[in-house]
Amino acid sequence: MKIEHKIYLSNAVHILLIVLIGMFALQNLNEILTKFRFTVIAEGLNANFLEMRLAEKNYFLYGDNEAFNNIKTRIDQTGETLLQVRPDIIRAVGAEKYTTLQSHLHAYAQLVDSISKADHRDGAVQQKLREAGQNLKTFSENITALESDRIGAIIAGSKNILLYSFWAVVLFAFLFSNLIVRNIGQSLRKVVDLTRAISTGNYRKIEEKPSDDEIGAVVSAINAMAEELHKREKEIVQSKRLASIGVLVAGVAHELNNPLNNISMLAQTYAEVYDGLGKEDRIGFMERVDEETERLRVIIHNLLDYAKPKEQHLARAITNQVIQKILALVQNMLDISNIKVMLTLGENLPDIYIDEHQIQQVLVNMATNAIQAMGKGGELRIVSRYLPEHDEIEIEIGDNGKGIAPEFLDHIFDPFFTTKEESGTGLGLWVSYGIIKNHQGNIRVASQVGAGTTFIITLPSCKKLKRCTDGEA
Amino acid sequence: MAKHSIMVIDDEKIVGDMAKLSFEQDGYEVETFLNGESALERLKERRFDVVVTDLKMKGVDGLEVLRSIKKLYPGVKVIMITAFANLDVAIEALRDDVHDFFPKPVKIKELKASVKRALGEE
Repeated sequence: MKIEHKIYLSNAVHILLIVLIGMFALQNLNEILTKFRFTVIAEGLNANFLEMRLAEKNYFLYGDNEAFNNIKTRIDQTGETLLQVRPDIIRAVGAEKYTTLQSHLHAYAQLVDSISKADHRDGAVQQKLREAGQNLKTFSENITALESDRIGAIIAGSKNILLYSFWAVVLFAFLFSNLIVRNIGQSLRKVVDLTRAISTGNYRKIEEKPSDDEIGAVVSAINAMAEELHKREKEIVQSKRLASIGVLVAGVAHELNNPLNNISMLAQTYAEVYDGLGKEDRIGFMERVDEETERLRVIIHNLLDYAKPKEQHLARAITNQVIQKILALVQNMLDISNIKVMLTLGENLPDIYIDEHQIQQVLVNMATNAIQAMGKGGELRIVSRYLPEHDEIEIEIGDNGKGIAPEFLDHIFDPFFTTKEESGTGLGLWVSYGIIKNHQGNIRVASQVGAGTTFIITLPSCKKLKRCTDGEA
Repeated sequence: MAKHSIMVIDDEKIVGDMAKLSFEQDGYEVETFLNGESALERLKERRFDVVVTDLKMKGVDGLEVLRSIKKLYPGVKVIMITAFANLDVAIEALRDDVHDFFPKPVKIKELKASVKRALGEE
């Protein structure tokens, strides 16, 4: 359900609740009004009945004709009033009670009519009339009292119900808005995590199917963007690869042209100055030609060796063991250069899935570079750690050597790029880069001139590659 | 007539050695340098009639040498050689008024002809 719809629904529920409460209150008010009208009427009737009883008493005491006429007038008035307010009374107390009241009045009127002909001093008649009058008055007073009580009860009940409904509405509003806010919060956090992952180059999609609300639309849009970014990155990698082939070819041309030019110049000069050369000089010329040819041979051998597609022998390996093995390989170099090793190996690292020979080649290359950068003395720093957020192993190899100038940093992974005066082929880091990329890892460098250089290699855990159960591939 | 002087800069030692042998045979005075820095030091002390320099060198490269020479001795002709046959670099070098540009492997006869033209002997 869309957030928009959720809010509409919440508002609708609120309005419905308020309307229900209002209707309930209105109905109660109507009932109270009806009962109140009845009690007003009843008070009038009661006053009339009281007057009748007083006139009745006077008539019996003094035989006063005026009193007798007064009784009859009151009876007629009451009868008319009862007819006029019939609907009000019926609505308030029901037809049955109305009829009872009417019949009590009727009985009383009949008795009064019979008295006019009989002696007003007749004790039996007096008794009968008193009883009928008393019945009429008591019945009327009773239902009046009953209805007053009902009004009190309705008001008390309404008050409670209104109070409870008020708290219920408040509680509902609180819970519902809380629910929506939490819902949106969770979804937004997911979006934040996703965009963070994408910004680190991890183009995984949110695995679950995006919900069909507004957040779902955002997630879908981000998913589409991630896909597009991933596609573009692939294109960039591809064009970079083509560019690096260009760099490689240019590098090869340069490397080959120098010794070729040397041989060519030796030959041209040899022919030109031949007559002036002694035997030793001529041998010297030819030896230099041979040296340059050897230089060409080495370059071509190295190139072929590096270009040869290497079959990967992937297997599960223990990161720290791989590091220990390469330390043994460079131990001799470390001893000669009097370099200390600071080893910080992470505990409980997940295993990796690698061609151990190739990764060793990379690590030896890094360590050798570090040792050469430091010269005599210095500290080789090797750190291994687990990056749980990416499920990757990170290996850091650092030195406190001379560092690499910022303008060279962008080129150190280029083929034939070297800062070493004599010894470098400029292929080591280029090959290392290729190996790590083939392992779905990453290699980066941080350096400060005068402070040292650190290479940081990341490799996916075997779990991430879903190859933890594989042995030798 | 005094000998014409030629400065040769290349980090490949054979280039300097062979140029020296060949040009001295023709009666030039030749000094060779293995890097841009030492060449620029020497240029502070004296002028050469023609400078032949490699383009790609560690540290001070051929283009920097060219610019320094144009500042110090605007009339001196510079001939550029390089194993890095990159046309973009060549165009940039030509814009900075390089006299000639030779990709390696260099034909010494062509180089000599270029030096002669630079000296106005042809």
